[in-house]
Amino acid sequence: MTCFISSCVVVKEYEKVNINDPDMILSEKKCDRNVVVAHSYREAAVGANGGKMGGGCGCN
Amino acid sequence: MNKSSIFICIPFLLLVPFLFLNAQNDQSSSNAYKKRVLETAEVDFLSSYYSQDGDNAAVTGGIGSEALTDATGTILVSIPLNDDDVLTIDAGISAYTSASSSNVNPFDGKGAADPYVASSGASRSDIWTNVSIGYSHSSDDRNDIWSVNVSIASEYDYFSAGVGGSYTKLFNEKNTEVSIKGNVFMDSWTPIYPSELRPFYGGNGVNNILFTQYSLTGNTDYNPRFIPFKTKERNSYSIGIGFSQILHKNIQAALALDFVQQEGLLSTPFQRVYFGDIDDSFIQNFHLADAVERLPDTRYKIALGGRLNWFVNAYTTVRTYYRYYFDDWGINSHTASMEIPIKIANKFTLYPSYRFYNQTAADYFRPYEKALSTDNYYTSDYDLSKYSANQFGIGLTYTDIFTKAHIWKFGLKSIDVKFYKYDRNTTFQSTILTAGFKFVMD
Repeated sequence: MTCFISSCVVVKEYEKVNINDPDMILSEKKCDRNVVVAHSYREAAVGANGGKMGGGCGCN
Repeated sequence: MNKSSIFICIPFLLLVPFLFLNAQNDQSSSNAYKKRVLETAEVDFLSSYYSQDGDNAAVTGGIGSEALTDATGTILVSIPLNDDDVLTIDAGISAYTSASSSNVNPFDGKGAADPYVASSGASRSDIWTNVSIGYSHSSDDRNDIWSVNVSIASEYDYFSAGVGGSYTKLFNEKNTEVSIKGNVFMDSWTPIYPSELRPFYGGNGVNNILFTQYSLTGNTDYNPRFIPFKTKERNSYSIGIGFSQILHKNIQAALALDFVQQEGLLSTPFQRVYFGDIDDSFIQNFHLADAVERLPDTRYKIALGGRLNWFVNAYTTVRTYYRYYFDDWGINSHTASMEIPIKIANKFTLYPSYRFYNQTAADYFRPYEKALSTDNYYTSDYDLSKYSANQFGIGLTYTDIFTKAHIWKFGLKSIDVKFYKYDRNTTFQSTILTAGFKFVMD
């Protein structure tokens, strides 16, 4: 892992304008939160997406 | 070392390489200039309207209407307390109406009881409320972020209290990020059982007024297996490890590994099961329960997910996601999605998306009348069955970075509207319409 990281090009702060675009966020967007909740209620798989991993029965 | 200990230890062992890496962290950070973590207070209003239908309701043992609608409203307030600290308050309310829940008691006297027809009973609707408060602190160089949160959620037959925390470390000139988070939810049920089963525990059984008021047909010697659950608590413990890396000035990726352990009452008390080796009893068109679902009192879940986002050009971004999930109930699952935001005008972005999901069945899943009275565990909840699902979505976002439109001291920064249609390869389908309004304080 260390080798992998060190082999990556380091992007300087002034080069991060595209990386900092709101659509580049590495998680679900706030407006999709209720969609993630619906999936967590109806599907067995949860986690690894920034969504809720417990609490609430989700049984209806 | 028992299974539980192994489960808790694995995440920490996986963190060791990252801690080693952290020790070699570059010294590029400087305290010369400290930008506020959050410049000004932000308020998000989120709302959604969800609708589903299908013919495999868990409440009626794998048959019957799954019709359900749910309207949700949430307010999310982020307040900068100083340069380094942010307080977040998240409050939501959700009101649902459910045909299957209504059939916890299908004998409302208003038409023949039928699993495909909603009853007018009290269980047809409920309101879920949630409040969560979070606090985060960032170090002067913004390379260390700590956060804690507490939450409570409540509905008629369920209460949940949660506490969590996370630590995030950025290094490699903020090109690399490692995080660890943990959450504990302590939930409790107020069990509600199918109405025809209630007389069989401490009641007068088949002599109850229910069975004299209505005529039993089929097997008139109705004698279900019913013992209320002793445990009413459900606890969930989760640990998540995250890693993200900027790969190029236009590409970044993330990996997430989550471990979840649940214990306690993992069955849903009002979900019926019909045994294939028991003669069927009916009132009107309604098949009377042979039992309620029985599931193990522990469950271990592991999910490994990855994201890769690519800023193709000033007009197009590609957002991809994949997750592999498995648990000790025998479920394996794959999730893959892609969203392609397209800037169609100065302030407008279009969000077409597609998501694929599949899962194998839980070891304890049995369709209608396929469970046996000799089984230890059984459920006819099709959310635990084998299926695949496709979801198509479209959204539109309006963004005004100058926040010209105002309500009091808050300027409107963005409006998001999205619509998703979700179809399983069973009879189940759903749609959800979401809207979000983001305001920032002047």
